[in-house]
Amino acid sequence: MAIKLGDIRLRRYKVGPGMIFIWIVGALGLAVAAWRWVVGLGPTTNLSDHRGWGIWISFDMMAGIGLAAGAFTLAAVVYIFNLKKFYPLVRPTILTGFISYILAALTLLADLGFPLRIWHLMIYGNIHSPLFEIGWCVMLYLGVLLLEFSPIVFEALHWKVPLKIIHGIEIPLMIAGITLSTLHQSTLGTMLTILPYRIHPLWYTPLLPVFYYISAIAAGLGMVVFESYNSARTYGYRFELKLLSSLTKAVPWLLGLYLVLKIGDLVVSGDYVYLLKGDLASVLYIIEIMGGVVVPMLMFADPKTRNTSNGIIWAAFYVMGGLIMNRINSALTFFHGALYLPAWSEIAVSVGLTCLGIIMFDAAVRFLPMFPEPTAEVSEK
Amino acid sequence: MAIQTHTETDAQVSSMLSRRDFLAFCSLMAGALALPKSSEELISQALTSPSRVPVVWLELQDCAGCSEAFLRASAPTAAEVVLDILSVDYHETIMAASGKRAEEAKEATIAAGGYLLVVEGSVSLDEDKGYCCIGGKSSVQLLQEAAKNALAVVAVGNCASFGGLPKANPNPTNAVGVMDLIKDKPVLNIPGCPMNPVNLTATVVHFLTFGALPEMDALHRPMFAFGHLIHDNCERRGHFAAGEFVREWGDEGHRLGYCLYKMGCKGPMTYHNCPSVRFNEGTNWPIGAGHPCIGCSEPGFWDLETYKPIELAKFTPPEQYPGIVPPDREITPLGAAITGGTLGVVVGAAGAFAYDMMTRQAGNEQKAEDAKLGPEEHGDHK
Amino acid sequence: MPINRRDFLKTAGAGLGGLALVDSPIAQLEVQAKQVEANSQASMLYDATKCVGCRACQVACKSRSNLPPVTDPERIWERPLDLSADTWTLIKLYDGEEGTSFVKANCMHCVEPACASVCPVAALEKTEAGPVVYHAERCIGCRYCMAACPFGIPKAQWYSNAPKIQKCDFCADRLAGGERPACADACPTGAINFGSRQEMLDVAHSRVADTERYVGTVYGEHEAGGTDVLYIAGVNPHLLGLPELDERSLPSIDWPYMKAVPWVVGIVGAFLTATYFYTHRNEGKEVHDGH
Repeated sequence: MAIKLGDIRLRRYKVGPGMIFIWIVGALGLAVAAWRWVVGLGPTTNLSDHRGWGIWISFDMMAGIGLAAGAFTLAAVVYIFNLKKFYPLVRPTILTGFISYILAALTLLADLGFPLRIWHLMIYGNIHSPLFEIGWCVMLYLGVLLLEFSPIVFEALHWKVPLKIIHGIEIPLMIAGITLSTLHQSTLGTMLTILPYRIHPLWYTPLLPVFYYISAIAAGLGMVVFESYNSARTYGYRFELKLLSSLTKAVPWLLGLYLVLKIGDLVVSGDYVYLLKGDLASVLYIIEIMGGVVVPMLMFADPKTRNTSNGIIWAAFYVMGGLIMNRINSALTFFHGALYLPAWSEIAVSVGLTCLGIIMFDAAVRFLPMFPEPTAEVSEK
Repeated sequence: MAIQTHTETDAQVSSMLSRRDFLAFCSLMAGALALPKSSEELISQALTSPSRVPVVWLELQDCAGCSEAFLRASAPTAAEVVLDILSVDYHETIMAASGKRAEEAKEATIAAGGYLLVVEGSVSLDEDKGYCCIGGKSSVQLLQEAAKNALAVVAVGNCASFGGLPKANPNPTNAVGVMDLIKDKPVLNIPGCPMNPVNLTATVVHFLTFGALPEMDALHRPMFAFGHLIHDNCERRGHFAAGEFVREWGDEGHRLGYCLYKMGCKGPMTYHNCPSVRFNEGTNWPIGAGHPCIGCSEPGFWDLETYKPIELAKFTPPEQYPGIVPPDREITPLGAAITGGTLGVVVGAAGAFAYDMMTRQAGNEQKAEDAKLGPEEHGDHK
Repeated sequence: MPINRRDFLKTAGAGLGGLALVDSPIAQLEVQAKQVEANSQASMLYDATKCVGCRACQVACKSRSNLPPVTDPERIWERPLDLSADTWTLIKLYDGEEGTSFVKANCMHCVEPACASVCPVAALEKTEAGPVVYHAERCIGCRYCMAACPFGIPKAQWYSNAPKIQKCDFCADRLAGGERPACADACPTGAINFGSRQEMLDVAHSRVADTERYVGTVYGEHEAGGTDVLYIAGVNPHLLGLPELDERSLPSIDWPYMKAVPWVVGIVGAFLTATYFYTHRNEGKEVHDGH
């Protein structure tokens, strides 16, 4: 570089074949998205009047935002509850959150019929609409995340004054972020409460906002584990097993509460009869509860499992998988009837966006001081 | 001096028309013109008026089919009535005179003015090539001279209206219809190939009764005859709505009188009153006889492919109704295969990544981890 | 885990608090006032027993709304099989065990429409006169209205890369000019009746009293909180594709949650602030002591 901007330097990590594959897939996904913008949603998706929402809404938006909940959870843990030992996890989690919300915004650009009118939310409003609230919360939260992320950039650039300013407003920022996240994570569930005739009774409940909120926190913590493990493996950073093991002690409690509420709700509403039908819905529900709630709950509860890297990462996979399944089951699979088969182009855009997220994460790790204590000896691959 | 065109026999025949038959004719005309019943009285008065309107009937690039149609009326009294009232002073095919005397009669009528000019056949604009030369004059000249003092011009048949057969691709004579040439006189077109004589008769009756030409459409065709699509009055329309089509000549559907749309019927684009008045005094009409309409009252119909179905401009519902539950979107096997394959690739890649992540560096990373943690914390991992 | 139990209770409490507000006496009066207002709105009564399936209403609608034809694959007839962006009303036929009946499918113009409630940019609006109209210039194409409508009415222009949402607009411009909707004017048998909702309910009730001719009650009187388009038929309306819905208006289901939003902000914000000060209560002292 001709101009040296502070400490911005390229940390040279080996670019493996996996990363190259991701770049190619990301580029292809972007190409497909461009095609969708030109020809519209009809030729590029399997959406129809009967089913207007596909995997972009249920997976990329709902599951994506749910998995990004680690950012506000960790912010609360470290800054509000003052558990400072978890600080090393903060930066990468904020980055993951920031990237996830950027991807959510990009998904909206792909999914909306008029993506260029996304700003209409700022000049037209309807306080009755959950989507209006979600839109504003996500917009504001993206701003909060940007500000929360900025210290890392300022550090790299050695810009001291902006750094001081951000540190000054750090706490109000965190409080705003946690409040906004609470709102929109639960409102993603509220969105579905006005659809009692479309959501399958096994998933439809007035407690949907509560369920979405709790599962987001639990899976968000799983995402923190996953992110740390991935960074350790790819970039040779320290896998914070001890910290994560301590942090995820909370997960079995969350999942336990979630399980009790879910079962209680099924019993009280009488919808448990649908479980006895033995059809696809009941099977998927049981898989979701067992694999996505019970199994990770037990795994995270057991110290022996939680304290091994293999155990904790598998538990994280299960809880994240459970959230993804839950969002897809409630908002896609049983949405007004038959199974939905996404078109290849929908899958391509989804995958491409995910790859974009990985690329952004990779760029951040290479250019910014993401991890406080990089370990040199494990960087050879 | 008007030259009598009626023979004595004709006069006898016309005088044999009973009052009742005459009134029946007036009623028929009122019907054809879509006029209310009260008009019958008007019409009968006009037709019994002693004054006779002279007519000059030009034949240019024609086949005389329209004249033949007019004269082939099986109830001669109808045409005869009109011919009684009109003084057809010039008509090459039927007039008794010929040669110079015929031309003199025409010129005298033209000079006197106040006549109706009927034109049959198209005009050739390439005068220097001599395509239509009658009596040493080109068709353009003949038409312009004849139209000079006319009250109105009636172009009978598709050729005089729109150019007809001569104008069909490649139009070697540069043929056009009358209205493309005559701009300063009212021109009424009665297209058809041949025209339906009922329409000419009714037009003349209208003219005599009201002193004006009937209401015309954008192509100068009288609305009473050319105001509706054949498709909208066709007796086989029910078969069209029910999806009962003739698909091959002589098949079951053809025998049962099914719709001829798929055999190339031009009914949906053709304005004419054939379904109601039919031809040869109401005997039959092409579709009734099992042949698709060729669109002979429309400009340029000769350039259409007779047996190729046309694209419809207006759509109406069929006889069937949609059911309450709309049909499911088909999940084609190909679609399912593509989606399944794509998902398989994605899941496979994710799985491979996960497996790699778990196994490859687990060993090294674990050792490094253990080394960092120190002996007292080592026990946790056991 | 303390964080989550409290947050849960807060959310549930706020929600329940919101629900309580709805059931208060003031809320009851509000509901009644809304009902009176609703009954003065424009309304259409479709009497399936008088419909002969001529589809003049369908043709008139297409003509007045300038909608392109929806044909069969061979392009011979106007043959929509369901409502779509280019077909705002459709005559369907039920021919089954319970009998035979036509039914006219179109937007129900609900008294409290779900579509207008969920639209984030208020592109769908329930007008005072009754029709639920669409403001194309506002729409962002999120398709929440398509998901929320219990009748599945809003349809999208999937073939376009600027897909508008289309549905019957009750000929709002014609109504404003004192005319009737195009379909009502075209109907030759009087199957489509037009007037105020009260008038239509009265007509409907007097007709369904004849239980030999009609089956069931007036559909749309109470369904989803009531609709401006009412149906009476000679067969069970649910066989005609009119879904079984309870009396709750759909917006009333999620409005308590949305009303709770300011409460959540306040309570969560206050809780976090208090917790922060509590957990950092010794830090000022430490620093102070250290100097």
